[in-house]
Amino acid sequence: MRLVSNKTCATLAALAVTSLTAGMVLADGSQSIAATRTIGYVTTDLHWAFYQTADVDKDCPQGLAGYGPRETFKALYPNGGPVGKTQLARESLKFFPNDKQMQFPYIFSKATIGVGVNLDGKVGPNDYVSPTGEKGIDNALQKVLGCNAQFRQPEGQLQLFGNKFVRTSTWNRTLIEISNVDDISNSDNVAVTIYRGRDPVLLDATGEGVAPGGTQRVDMRWGKPIIQHLKGKIVDGVLITEPIKEGIYPWAIYNDVPTLLNWRDMRLKLTLTPERADGLIAGYMDVESYYTWLTAWSTHHLSYGRLDPAEFYWTLRKMADAYPNEKGEMTAISSALTVNMVQAFISHPDADAMKSNQKITDARH
Amino acid sequence: MRLIVGVTGILMALGLGSASAAEPSVREAYVDVPMPPGFKVVSTELEGPVFADARGHTLYKWPIASLRNGYAGDPKDKSACEDVVTTKTGGYMSPYPGGLDLPDLDARKSCVAEWPPALADANAKPVGDWSIIKRSDGTLQWAYDHQPLYTSHLDQSPGDVLGGTSLFRRGGDTPAERFPVGPPSALPPGFRIEGTLHGRMLVNDKRYSVYASDADEADKSNCTSEACLQRWLPMLAPETAQPRGEWSIVQRSLGVRQWAFRKQPLYTYMRDTRAMSQDGGDEPGWHNVYAQPGPAYPKSFTVQNTTYGDVLAERNGKTVYFYTCGDDSADQLSCDTLGSPQQYRMAICGGGDWARCHELWHFVPASADEKSEGSVWSIISVDPKTDRQAAEGQAGAVRVWAFRGRPIYTYSGDQQPGEFRGHSMGEWQGRRNGFRAFWLRVI
Repeated sequence: MRLVSNKTCATLAALAVTSLTAGMVLADGSQSIAATRTIGYVTTDLHWAFYQTADVDKDCPQGLAGYGPRETFKALYPNGGPVGKTQLARESLKFFPNDKQMQFPYIFSKATIGVGVNLDGKVGPNDYVSPTGEKGIDNALQKVLGCNAQFRQPEGQLQLFGNKFVRTSTWNRTLIEISNVDDISNSDNVAVTIYRGRDPVLLDATGEGVAPGGTQRVDMRWGKPIIQHLKGKIVDGVLITEPIKEGIYPWAIYNDVPTLLNWRDMRLKLTLTPERADGLIAGYMDVESYYTWLTAWSTHHLSYGRLDPAEFYWTLRKMADAYPNEKGEMTAISSALTVNMVQAFISHPDADAMKSNQKITDARH
Repeated sequence: MRLIVGVTGILMALGLGSASAAEPSVREAYVDVPMPPGFKVVSTELEGPVFADARGHTLYKWPIASLRNGYAGDPKDKSACEDVVTTKTGGYMSPYPGGLDLPDLDARKSCVAEWPPALADANAKPVGDWSIIKRSDGTLQWAYDHQPLYTSHLDQSPGDVLGGTSLFRRGGDTPAERFPVGPPSALPPGFRIEGTLHGRMLVNDKRYSVYASDADEADKSNCTSEACLQRWLPMLAPETAQPRGEWSIVQRSLGVRQWAFRKQPLYTYMRDTRAMSQDGGDEPGWHNVYAQPGPAYPKSFTVQNTTYGDVLAERNGKTVYFYTCGDDSADQLSCDTLGSPQQYRMAICGGGDWARCHELWHFVPASADEKSEGSVWSIISVDPKTDRQAAEGQAGAVRVWAFRGRPIYTYSGDQQPGEFRGHSMGEWQGRRNGFRAFWLRVI
């Protein structure tokens, strides 16, 4: 067992720690806890990151998006017609957006302040300045989302309801476990592992908030593909990971419609406390993946924000700024997700026990 | 009131059956409610006991449903299903307006043609929960529990339930659906039965799963240790409860009585966090309990582990999907059969392009030596040039697997076993017009 200094022990006693073996180890400051040198968190909130002022006119001098499904339908089919050539044609386009080029004007955010991460290490003409003055923030998605009511807080429908399912859907029970932690404020070399948990989040006394201290069993039966490993460091209480070339983050925005966000150069930037981890997941979001995520929302729901899916698809492609394909078309868009997490004890099932429990669901065949 | 117990169910009740999974021939018991002359109860593979007319054709109800822009279906004691061919959409499903021309009007049938009312003659008398309503054309129609009753034009043989299903609790934003109607299940208070692909699952009144243990004996619980009782909560029977039919009572200790079904003591699982869970079945020796098993899916099919749970797949491991569709007319007619307008499916599977649809979505072929083993999972012949059902042996027709008479599909976007990229593709996450995977268990 590795020996740690008194100072480190004291710090670790304050950490909520997780077990690396079967069963749970309580955060009682014992040597066995200190030896784990880990802390776990569970995702409670996800929102697409973009900067918005209270005054819409500043971000969106042209107003908010005006051509949603209702508006495009009315413009295209003022006299109605056969359902196959009108309603079904528009629904077709949702799943085959390449069938028709962009037809309506799109309103882009004009904000100059942006939320995100400097993904490429450069300061370019299209980059934002962060609210704290950091230059070079890459978030081209902000330009796409910033003037769509669907995404603007506090009332944006997708912002509200897409996030609601983060807490209620097991698919969205994404965990991170940070190990090799010397000190929650500063650690030079930590390992971060992403898992999926199997348990409901621990609600606080209000029934609305999520309390730290819950337990999450790692899903090793269906969740193995979710497991991802990142390396990073903690500097002044902020976890910064190195990017991984391809990353995934589950986010189902509707019941029974499980979707994965596919990132290029995915990284985490989270402010850590013993109870919370808050910050960003950033990288280049695969355009097709983002669109699949979005279209889990019904056309009806997209109408609330005047978001026509096929038009939005072309806008995403237009603003994509990374990973060109063989034709030179960009396939990914710089972006960031605001993520909020609370501390959770992460329980790792014994691998052999899991194996013996696995069976075919239906024994009839 | 009598209880009807399936023959094998009686054998099980005598302790001759296995302790867990229901045997294939076990049938769900039901309450023998009074019925008008000419009606009967038929035990079906998927839906359990259902009412049927003299021909054995299943009876359905069409309860009024709140849609996004209005209501469709029958209010109590009144039929909204008329013998008039509807020609326009109703605009029930936002965001599209009503008044659009419905497809294939030359072949479109009226609601009554697809859902013939269960007519009562002039001398018919109400019996029990069966009543008689007067239709708009003056004819009389049977109703059960105030819901007018119909048969389906799709059902041809006794036991067919092709018109509608209570399976797949799909939540809101489905069409206003038709459901088979049957007598109440023979259950003590505090229990209910939910339809699943595995079978008719026994749950408690909060829809949480009920389990049984291989370690128990007939009418005797061996879950008495603290370790066991920390995980398993015996389903207690009140002091006044009496054994009946397949239900008995286990005396755990003086004054502590536990329900048993087919002599199996019943429990809920302390770690279950949601309704209809199968998680307790992961504990060695423990099982969900079914009043009857589901219809066996084709033997060549497989079960695949995915990131979302266990899904049904064809022989090569590719996820299989069903297509479901209801139109936006006031009749809310089904558009997911091979006889219904194909424009709906084509819109989703190929963007209106027939060739692309066939390229992306494939019927699941049945090999020459495979045979249908029931009406739920069956082999049908399809003319690939029209996608219409063909006569068996018709030149050029292909034999494909079907679920409830509708062909099932694989999706070319799925490259590896366990992928399910086609799931929820369609209007309203595929619930209204689109494709859904056959989930056997979800996380």
